[in-house]
Amino acid sequence: MNKLKYLTQMSLKKKIATKWFYVANIILLVLVVGLINIDSIIKLFGGSFEKNDEIIIIDNTNSIYNEFIDNYKRFSEYLDSDDDTKIELYDKSLEEAKEEVKEDDKILLVIDNDQENFIKAEVITNKAINAITFQIITTSLNSAKQNMALEYFNISEDMLSIVNNAVNIERTRLDESKDIDETMELIMSVAFPILILPFFMLTLFLTQMIGAEVNEEKTTKSMEIIISNVSAKTHFFSKVIAGNVFVLFQGLLLVLFAILGLTIRYFISGGLITGEAASTIIDVIDSLKDTGFINNLVYIIPITLVLMILTFIAYSLLAGILASMTTNMEDYQQLQTPIIIISLVGYYLAMMAAMFEGSIFIRIASYIPFISSLLSPALLMLGQISIIDVFISLLLLIAVVFVLIKYGLRIYKVGILNYSSNHLWKKMFKAIKNKE
Amino acid sequence: MLKVEHVTKKYDDLVAVNDLSFEVADGEIFGLLGLNGAGKTTTFRMIMGLIDDYTGKITLDGSKIDYNVTDKIGFLTEERSLLTKMTVLEQITFYGILKGMKKEDIEKKLDYYLQRFGISEYKNKKIKELSKGNQQKIQFISSIIHAPKLLILDEPFSGLDPLNVEIFKKEILDLKAKGTSIIFSSHRMEHVELFCEKLVVLVKGKSVLEGRLKDIKKNYKKKNIIIAGDIDVEELKKAKGVVSIVKQEDYYVIKIEDNSYVSPIFKKISKYDNITKFAVEDASLNEIFVSIVGDNYE
Repeated sequence: MNKLKYLTQMSLKKKIATKWFYVANIILLVLVVGLINIDSIIKLFGGSFEKNDEIIIIDNTNSIYNEFIDNYKRFSEYLDSDDDTKIELYDKSLEEAKEEVKEDDKILLVIDNDQENFIKAEVITNKAINAITFQIITTSLNSAKQNMALEYFNISEDMLSIVNNAVNIERTRLDESKDIDETMELIMSVAFPILILPFFMLTLFLTQMIGAEVNEEKTTKSMEIIISNVSAKTHFFSKVIAGNVFVLFQGLLLVLFAILGLTIRYFISGGLITGEAASTIIDVIDSLKDTGFINNLVYIIPITLVLMILTFIAYSLLAGILASMTTNMEDYQQLQTPIIIISLVGYYLAMMAAMFEGSIFIRIASYIPFISSLLSPALLMLGQISIIDVFISLLLLIAVVFVLIKYGLRIYKVGILNYSSNHLWKKMFKAIKNKE
Repeated sequence: MLKVEHVTKKYDDLVAVNDLSFEVADGEIFGLLGLNGAGKTTTFRMIMGLIDDYTGKITLDGSKIDYNVTDKIGFLTEERSLLTKMTVLEQITFYGILKGMKKEDIEKKLDYYLQRFGISEYKNKKIKELSKGNQQKIQFISSIIHAPKLLILDEPFSGLDPLNVEIFKKEILDLKAKGTSIIFSSHRMEHVELFCEKLVVLVKGKSVLEGRLKDIKKNYKKKNIIIAGDIDVEELKKAKGVVSIVKQEDYYVIKIEDNSYVSPIFKKISKYDNITKFAVEDASLNEIFVSIVGDNYE
């Protein structure tokens, strides 16, 4: 049997054919599906949020009340609020109304005439109220006021509609290479946190797996038996291949968990995204289609995937080299943490890129391997760098992978049979200088 | 046959192995002895191909050490070289396949050895669940599963009770009878004396004593006289050529400088009428080792 293939299979088997792999993935499945359906879960368990508001209205204008109720219902439906607010006209004194507010936690709305502004209102509550409820009250009152104004100034509804229409703004960019709409920043702020978490998690899995295996074999001295039968090169590549196959497999599982979560959401909520958010997203997608951004995804997605895979490979090579240099798992873990956190730098820079558009620092950072996999596609999507810059990042990443293989292998060969941390760096620099 | 010819290995200024040469014939057990840090492990690593930047030559049956050759070598390391999370079957299969064996052959041979060592019930148990002695048996099986041409045993009896030591001894002698060349390393000189026909003693990487055990013992000047009976110890201590007198349970061991002092001592004790035993013996390997290594160790 091919020894590289066998060692790779064994590494994968050690990682996958364990009850802890199943336990971890069951937890991940529950978490991913749960997070996607978190709103449904919160509602399922119930709680005080389900208590419907009760609004009592003292309508000193004697004309707004009915229209307010109509408006309130209309805006509640528009905002997809499950609100079942009870609204009633109050006919007792203000002081009595305040007592009820105190005792029953009601919302008191006092509407008065206003000479300058048609109406004025006061909302009296015992404590803070739901922001959406307050928003609906405000919008309902404004709408009622508009109708009063229509009547007063004798303005037709068509005329009001023209007045209320948003200004038609046409966007033209003379530099066609930057055909990115401003809505991209919104996409970035939503999409990136979703992307960084699994990327960070998979990087952690990868480096952890390689480090643990190399250290286990070193500390048990079984490394001596293994390396006497296979070359250090074969051993090194078996760990790197197994680590990357594992990460791809685990990544695929996460995607499947997400699909399952979305499917459940679709059947529970009657759609993936509902309410006003749905129309906002559709607007954003339409806007992206208009700018041609969607078409650009044809090359942005593969480039991002290639950058990510190459980054995983670079991380696995680095993990193998560092694991070979350390003499126990504790030392390796101390070394591993700051190295994985490098990938987070890319994430934060990507988030800050919109604020510091044109920053030379962020542009140069996008070339740096380990950071580039997140930062470079992000800047490309924001239109801050061109496809040529992304290719520079790609080439630099390939160069780093090459260097890690060429010189890292020399360190690995010496490191895996080194059990002492005395003169460690001297030994490693000497190993780098040694040719095969 | 293993041939180690003028092998020198340096770590910067430290000479770990200095111009070492020896041969181990087929079916021969060879002792490689020395204190900790004497260069034994470095020598084993060179034979196993783990270190290749040395001067000199190492060959097995005329072939230089490479991965085809190391497939024919079994190595039982001093420390446990087992992946303890694996089961016995997985571990032996893992090492067996790395040695170029087929899965089916490995399991068949494993069953045979497990039965021979009386631990068949542990075949599917994780190694970490086994006792120290049983782990050592598994390690021993892992080193012989591929019927090696050369077997390196570094402290093979570590962690074994006397009964299991006997089982191991029998197995080692069986392998020798089948023609396996064996390098044996141990700090227990009684074990070395039991097995080894030839040996080399290393001090700071250099051979300070080598040859056939029989010849080494014969050529070592200091002898032991065993006397059973009542003697005047103080008087005998003053006698010329006596190095020391040690009282054992029912006899005395008188260490003398060399054979020439046997006759005067015999004359001295012949006046006693209750002497039941007078015998001259070669020094033990342990004594020779302590003396030689002590003299050469600064």
